[in-house]
Amino acid sequence: MRAERSGLREGDDEDFSVVPTQSPSQVQRNLESRSQEEINRKVTELVQFLLVKDQKKIPIKRVDILKKVIREYKDVYSEIVNRAGRTLQQVFGLQMVEIDTKHHIYILTSTLPRVEGENLKQDIQTAKLGLLIVILSFIFMKGNSAKDSAVWEFLRRLRVHPGEKHEVFGDVKKLVMEEFVRQKYLEITPIPLTDPPEFNFQWGPRAAKETSKKDILSFVAKMQKKEPSFWISQYNEAKANT
Amino acid sequence: MAESDGSGDFFSPRGSGSARSRLSLPSASRNGSVSQRRQRRLSGGLGRPPASEKGDEEDEEEEEDEDDGEEPESERPRPPGSSEGGGDERHRRLIRNQYRELICSVQQNREDMLSSKSNRLTEALEEANQLFSGVSRAREAALDAQFLVLASNLGKEKANELRSEITTFDSLTFAEDLLTFMGINRTETEGNDSDSESMSGGYLPSNAWYKLGEEAEKYFRRAPSFHYMLGSFKSEPPMPRQRIERQRKAPGGEEKRAMPAQLKKMEESHQEATAKEVERILGLLQTHFRNDPCTPIFFFDLVVDPNSFARTVENIFHVSFILRDGLARLKLDDDKLPVIEPVQNVEERNDDHSARARNQVVISLSHEEWRV
Repeated sequence: MRAERSGLREGDDEDFSVVPTQSPSQVQRNLESRSQEEINRKVTELVQFLLVKDQKKIPIKRVDILKKVIREYKDVYSEIVNRAGRTLQQVFGLQMVEIDTKHHIYILTSTLPRVEGENLKQDIQTAKLGLLIVILSFIFMKGNSAKDSAVWEFLRRLRVHPGEKHEVFGDVKKLVMEEFVRQKYLEITPIPLTDPPEFNFQWGPRAAKETSKKDILSFVAKMQKKEPSFWISQYNEAKANT
Repeated sequence: MAESDGSGDFFSPRGSGSARSRLSLPSASRNGSVSQRRQRRLSGGLGRPPASEKGDEEDEEEEEDEDDGEEPESERPRPPGSSEGGGDERHRRLIRNQYRELICSVQQNREDMLSSKSNRLTEALEEANQLFSGVSRAREAALDAQFLVLASNLGKEKANELRSEITTFDSLTFAEDLLTFMGINRTETEGNDSDSESMSGGYLPSNAWYKLGEEAEKYFRRAPSFHYMLGSFKSEPPMPRQRIERQRKAPGGEEKRAMPAQLKKMEESHQEATAKEVERILGLLQTHFRNDPCTPIFFFDLVVDPNSFARTVENIFHVSFILRDGLARLKLDDDKLPVIEPVQNVEERNDDHSARARNQVVISLSHEEWRV
């Protein structure tokens, strides 16, 4: 039984999969050969591993999970992952979301509804999110892709310059073009045959999972004190997206 | 068809003006065939009536591609011993610089040019047109062609925005609204720049981006970053517990020992300094009295430092030591003003020690009073 939903399911086999295909009965048998204690320990380790890996918001590869945590328990991999997912959900309100089904790469997202005024800790990550949301908004409102020159010109109006050291963000160019890309918030692709090279900015897979076109349109609408339906085609697109 | 000012006028001035100016190029300065071909293509493309904008743009684009390919060819080496003087060279350099500036300004202000409300693109085109009238050589013409590519790309985008159903998203006002949300302090006295691209002036507070980020979090389902409160990922549970207990016991004793040692040292140094000061003031008093034995000194004259409130307080502090030790006496004179006089003989001092009534006086001296 293969489900389309995100999260790990046993039987996730693609070309270079390290995990042998297992039927539920096989997994059961394998489980019986290990003690409950051992399995639980692995589950805990996996949960910790995922949480720490998520700190920097760099997506987590299944390959790493297998190599660093599961190791010799590969035969009960799916069971461990399922239980870990349950713990993440029940204890932390988080879920593992696959953003790359070919290479099996995951991120953690929150399943809890946001509560007003809940963020007591405002750190640089908060500020970076502010920068990110304006970039994502710009890209979406401009038709889901924008040229880098357009994005930087827009940011210039917000006193953010790629060449200058920003008092909050420091090396903004690096932040936008490297960090946000590595975290999969943005996808930046070079436009062929351009000299000097120009780039195309789009939403990255993490952005698509952590927010939505509808959310971003609401944000824009709130900033501009208009109804989201003011921008007809973006509104329709956002509606179709949910 | 509704035309915005910008793209509507795109073709007409360029077509008529440039066609004329280009045809007047002296063909002697370069390979005749190349220049003629270029001229024909350029004027042909631009002179066509804007019947269908879309059709025009596509042709323009094709031509631009070919044009770019042709460029290197038209850069023929000048015949040696050319009769052009230095003045001409300067003039050409000037033109090249102006072109580069124009190109740069167009690149920097894309959004402004694209805005359906602005005429900037047409203005830029007209400027380039004027520049072109002074062009006589391939190098400058190449820059002109580069500008043309840029302008036509923008023109295409502008037309696209007109055509499509995307409600034009005005990024300029969006930026302004964001700044407002972030708490920008717009000043009144902004000099009015003539170009519309001047950014709104004002002071952005340091928490601007944090404020925006806080709002942004509402639109994301981001997993909060997980951090152990107590330490690193690898810490083992049993060890810290023992260490904590041990640590709790140890500091108790050590600290106490450490404290007194420190205090003693501090007090000593303080005392030394104080003692010295006290002696000094006592010396002053005695000297003064020696000189003028009958006049007691007004207390305030002695302690008040007209230049420093802090010094004044310090002086009172030091004088109080003298009084405490019985080396001087504080009395109220006839006017009920405090006067101070040193105690003269040793015996008196000793007597006073035991019998003297110890009075405590609190002197309050505020900064205002001191100033007066």
